[in-house]
Amino acid sequence: MLPDLAGLRGGAAILPELVLTGTVFAVLVLDLALRRSARRGRVLLLVTCLGLAAAATAIAGVSAGAQPLFYGMLVADGFALFVKGVVIAAAVVGAILAALSPEIRRDQLGEYLILLVCLTLGMCLLAGARNLLMLYLALELVSLPSYILAGFRHGDRRSSEAALKYVVFGAAASGLMLFGFSLLYGLAGTLDLPGIGAAVVARGLQGGLDAQLLVVVAVLLSLAGFAYKVAAVPFHMWCPDVYEGAPTPFVAFLSVAPKAAGFAALLRFFLSGFGAPLGFPAPGEFPWPFVLGVLAMATMTVGNLAAITQDNVKRLLAYSSIAHAGYLLMAVAVGSPLAIRGVLLYLPIYLLMNMGAFLVVMAVHDATGSETVDGFRGLGARAPYLAVVMAVFLFSLTGIPPLAGFIGKFFLFAAALQTKSMFFYAVAVVGVVNSVISLYYYARIVRACFLEKPADAQAPVRVGSPAAALLGALAVPTLVLGIWWGPLLGVVEKALLLPR
Amino acid sequence: MIPEPVRALLFYLCAGLALAGGCWVAFARNIVHSAFALLATFAGVAGLYAFLSADFLAVVQLMIYVGGVLVLILFALMLTSRIEEARVSNPTIGLVPGAVVLIAVSALLVYACVKEFGGTTDLPPGEPTTAGIGDALLSRYVLPFEVISVLLLAVLLGAVTIAGGRLRKPAPGGKPGKERP
Repeated sequence: MLPDLAGLRGGAAILPELVLTGTVFAVLVLDLALRRSARRGRVLLLVTCLGLAAAATAIAGVSAGAQPLFYGMLVADGFALFVKGVVIAAAVVGAILAALSPEIRRDQLGEYLILLVCLTLGMCLLAGARNLLMLYLALELVSLPSYILAGFRHGDRRSSEAALKYVVFGAAASGLMLFGFSLLYGLAGTLDLPGIGAAVVARGLQGGLDAQLLVVVAVLLSLAGFAYKVAAVPFHMWCPDVYEGAPTPFVAFLSVAPKAAGFAALLRFFLSGFGAPLGFPAPGEFPWPFVLGVLAMATMTVGNLAAITQDNVKRLLAYSSIAHAGYLLMAVAVGSPLAIRGVLLYLPIYLLMNMGAFLVVMAVHDATGSETVDGFRGLGARAPYLAVVMAVFLFSLTGIPPLAGFIGKFFLFAAALQTKSMFFYAVAVVGVVNSVISLYYYARIVRACFLEKPADAQAPVRVGSPAAALLGALAVPTLVLGIWWGPLLGVVEKALLLPR
Repeated sequence: MIPEPVRALLFYLCAGLALAGGCWVAFARNIVHSAFALLATFAGVAGLYAFLSADFLAVVQLMIYVGGVLVLILFALMLTSRIEEARVSNPTIGLVPGAVVLIAVSALLVYACVKEFGGTTDLPPGEPTTAGIGDALLSRYVLPFEVISVLLLAVLLGAVTIAGGRLRKPAPGGKPGKERP
């Protein structure tokens, strides 16, 4: 007897993923074929970027729809396609950064790029996963290459330590999440998120603590995996060590793309699996907004307070990225249409400013060998262009108008205030106080750039023209989107227009 | 058909083996002892699979985990130079807070699970599952099956990268390495 094959239709919707898989093989074969060629690095980078561009084009060609694909494993709705676009853009920037950085050895660039594309493939699947098995596999496809790339500076003790810490933390978080998933499967008898959602809602209506207890335990355990991926409290401890030890071009990518995909999966897990959590739970509903809101407050506070005392800029940006995960978690907790729009709007803006800041850190490190705040002293005189764009990125990360970061934060906070609940007012106040704290440590770097004299010789810091062009490509949209965000908002709204 | 008391005895034997093995893995001071204790855990879990009529899974558990993963772990341990250091790198720290967390979490989990799944259910009939698994892998679960292959490719490549990076000369100070001839 033949099994039912109807679910295999809709293969065209995974064309972006197929293109990415093809890119993996193309780079793999070319890496071997061009072993003796002097132009190997450039060709591999070109092929990778072309493959990613082709995948992005394929995304534009996919007709978004809410119908499940491959027996309910995936869905290619506007939400997923938008997130895929963001992670592919981050992968293009990440590939170019790797090619520019001396931290990635030329003869290993091919391996780096292959793993980067595998990771991107994992994130694309994660953005569209609507089945727990698919979600877990996609998460592992993101995690395992990340471990290898974090330890890519072989022979460097800090890099190896970063990779090992990342693996141990990742394994623990994966284990907790799998345990949670298995409990959910036991409760619902299905791995499909909507099916689980229906079972959970039915159970919530039964009322009583006993009926809800196991659901709450299972979801909290599942949350561990997501919190680890987006670096939220209490699974943020790996973040500063990994950011400090891993190669900078990978950190720039890691701080943006897996976070974006992780938030996409988290949103789908809660919204498609558990019905929209909006406002405070009525009797018989589960306290997800409260749990996520408390996590959001803890995440932003821990991130910002710990960032104050950091001297290493990569560690500082690690804590800053934890804080940003907190702001995004606040919107996930709200879960209203405005909040989802805010999250989607924030992701590309965060990509621009955070990858830009890491690119400046990379340029300064390559020129001076320093990764500390002191290394930025007098940068305004030694490399005015670098100093100015760094100021743009950092003030945008703070959320100061008229920069793009302000618009991103504005929508997140507006979503929290729109709920008109005392709890989310409190979360928003904590968020605003945290933004003020963050101004202090971001401004410390800017102050070092412009107001402090360099301690040692005033050698000018040189930036290569590709790096300068890439910095410009990240800084200009950061400035423009702060004033003219209409087009981006239009894309986001179009992505969310279709029913999820 | 095996009589009921024997079945129950076998079940508790398997469960106890898995549990005791797990405890031994966690608490043994010597990492080689931990690795061998893992054998008991894997065997116990394979027995539990057999009880749940997951015959294929039970055999795979024995073949892959005992025959592959465990042997690999043992090889890695035996081939590690300075294995003496591993003995002291496994100290027990934070015993009291750890115990508190363990008791609290396991009490909560046991309570919630017993409350939910406590009743007795009939065991599924012991039919061969291999054909069903094959059908599922090539229809309903074909996409995850293919994604696993990409995942394995990435991991294989990563393993080669890590091992190969040690064999080649590391570039001094993270400076660009020379092209290989």
